[in-house]
Amino acid sequence: MTGGEIMSDKNGIIVLEDIKKTYDTGSVSVNALKGINLTIEKGEYVAIMGQSGSGKSTMMNILGCLDTPTSGKYYLDGVDITKEKKSKLSYIRNRKIGFVFQSFNLIPRTSAIKNVELPMIYAKVGRKARRKKAEELLKKVGLEGRMNHMPNEVSGGQRQRIAIARALANNPPIILADEPTGNLDTASSIEIMELFTELNNDGATVIVVTHEDDIAQFTKRIVRFKDGEIVSDEKVVRD
Amino acid sequence: MLIFENLKLALSSIRVNKMRSFLTMLGMIIGISSVIAIVSIGDTMRNAIAKEYENIGSGIACVYIVSESGYYGDNETFTLDELEKMEETFKNYIDYHITPTSSDRVDIVNGRNTTKVSISGIREGYEDVAKTVKLVKGRMINENDVLGKKMNIVLEESVAKELFGNNEPLGRKINVITQGLDGEERKEMNVVGIYRSEQSAIMKLLGGNSIKEVYVPQTALTGPDDRFFDIYLYRKNSVDNEFFRERVLNYISRIKNTSVDNIIYYSAEEESSSIDSMMNALSIGVGAIASISLIVGGIGIMNIMLVSVTERTREIGIRKALGARRFDILMQFLIESAIISALGGIIGTLLGCGVVMVGGSLVGIEVVIKPYVVVGAVLFSAVVGIFFGMYPSSKASKKDPIESLRYE
Repeated sequence: MTGGEIMSDKNGIIVLEDIKKTYDTGSVSVNALKGINLTIEKGEYVAIMGQSGSGKSTMMNILGCLDTPTSGKYYLDGVDITKEKKSKLSYIRNRKIGFVFQSFNLIPRTSAIKNVELPMIYAKVGRKARRKKAEELLKKVGLEGRMNHMPNEVSGGQRQRIAIARALANNPPIILADEPTGNLDTASSIEIMELFTELNNDGATVIVVTHEDDIAQFTKRIVRFKDGEIVSDEKVVRD
Repeated sequence: MLIFENLKLALSSIRVNKMRSFLTMLGMIIGISSVIAIVSIGDTMRNAIAKEYENIGSGIACVYIVSESGYYGDNETFTLDELEKMEETFKNYIDYHITPTSSDRVDIVNGRNTTKVSISGIREGYEDVAKTVKLVKGRMINENDVLGKKMNIVLEESVAKELFGNNEPLGRKINVITQGLDGEERKEMNVVGIYRSEQSAIMKLLGGNSIKEVYVPQTALTGPDDRFFDIYLYRKNSVDNEFFRERVLNYISRIKNTSVDNIIYYSAEEESSSIDSMMNALSIGVGAIASISLIVGGIGIMNIMLVSVTERTREIGIRKALGARRFDILMQFLIESAIISALGGIIGTLLGCGVVMVGGSLVGIEVVIKPYVVVGAVLFSAVVGIFFGMYPSSKASKKDPIESLRYE
């Protein structure tokens, strides 16, 4: 952390204050997010739910520092990222956030281990350390036998495991998963969600964006979006 | 460190798309190999021609006087006496006698066979100064021929063949027909020798001497009224051409009572250097035209890189989401295009050098490939790659990560 950054008095790892996002599509402007206030504490396991068009994708992009809000403040790990330059946002994505996507988004024709190494390359981790860490992570997600396989040579569930290993590469405090089970069968979906639960038990803050209730049930807190606003925010009660 | 990663990335991307990478390189391969071949062929020819002139004797100079009135009289032509006096004056500067030459083509006739030749009047010892003349039969012109004004002639091998076929030419008589002021003049001459004109590979390549030369004693070669329009001087190698030229011009100006400006002097040395600079200009010119193909090759690279950037939009989005900065993406694509281009350049260089070497050994010429041409070509191809990779790479680096991740 360098000096001069705006620190929040809030102690949540993610603190959103009156976040608004407006898209200008020519004559019409669309209010995708209409003033969101949300705090996520370190170590939480949160599902963000909503129908398509509810603003949850916009929310996901802003949380992941892929997009910046039109107004409002977003403190990530105490730093207001709405003031940061694009190159700093790249740095934050690299070190603070581990992305898991619906369509896996592995680099094609590139082995599992190389895919896992990628965020570490951008973090300028040395070759040997990178290799070692990538092997550890693939072992952790149960793919020690698939390290040199290409993404198209393994199953969907295994691809998502590679993606999760990649998301963990730089030990980010936050795992951000966008419909991680959307392209998977039920058995694989359960395995993947159990993996997230395990990561959360190890201390990671996990945020899962989904529209499926049974997937959301794996988490400990469900935040529902509708028309760009939070309509409910409740703890999951397990039977 | 990222440079090294990008190098590996670029090489693996080239490996993955072997065919496409090769086709992209093809433009550079053809461009670089043709530039190298052209420049090297030019250098090889210049080298060969320079050697050729050394063989002939770069000291040969031809001198004649231009008449202002158009009438050629005593003051514009030379007599044999004048040549002898001149020889005496310049004996310290010249290797050989000053000889007259008939500037006209003449016909030589044996019965029904006629052929056109160029006839030169020489003195004894000519074979020592003219290195391309190799006597194969009989003898060259000797002192007796010159002093006695003997009507003897030495023919070139192919001329003899044309006139006599397979019959023995030595000792036979032929007719030499010159066009004088008073019309046709016919002289009977004895064939005393046959020589072969030893041409080097480069001269053969350039078509050789299409008009063959025959030699007679200079005392037997007569122009109208025994006057000669132009003369040959054989300057010693140790004598400076400029110095020699000035002396010759002043001397002739004095004895002929004419302005120095009316005397034309040209030497093999000057001719050689003017041919050299002409060849140089030619190879630079053609090389420059061939360089246009490098630009075409560069555009080919830009084209493929643009396609590749679009194809890999999603990959760019993933990389950006994982923390790649704009600069990282820019470098990735820039290095890829520079490597494709430089690889093309290296292959093209090998191909170009190979073509020149094989061609040179087939023709039998010593090949000249200058190192700076090779280094320059490879560096230039990398520069082409960077220049034409700039736009696609910058386009890639500016892609929005969200839209790129959505790209199908």
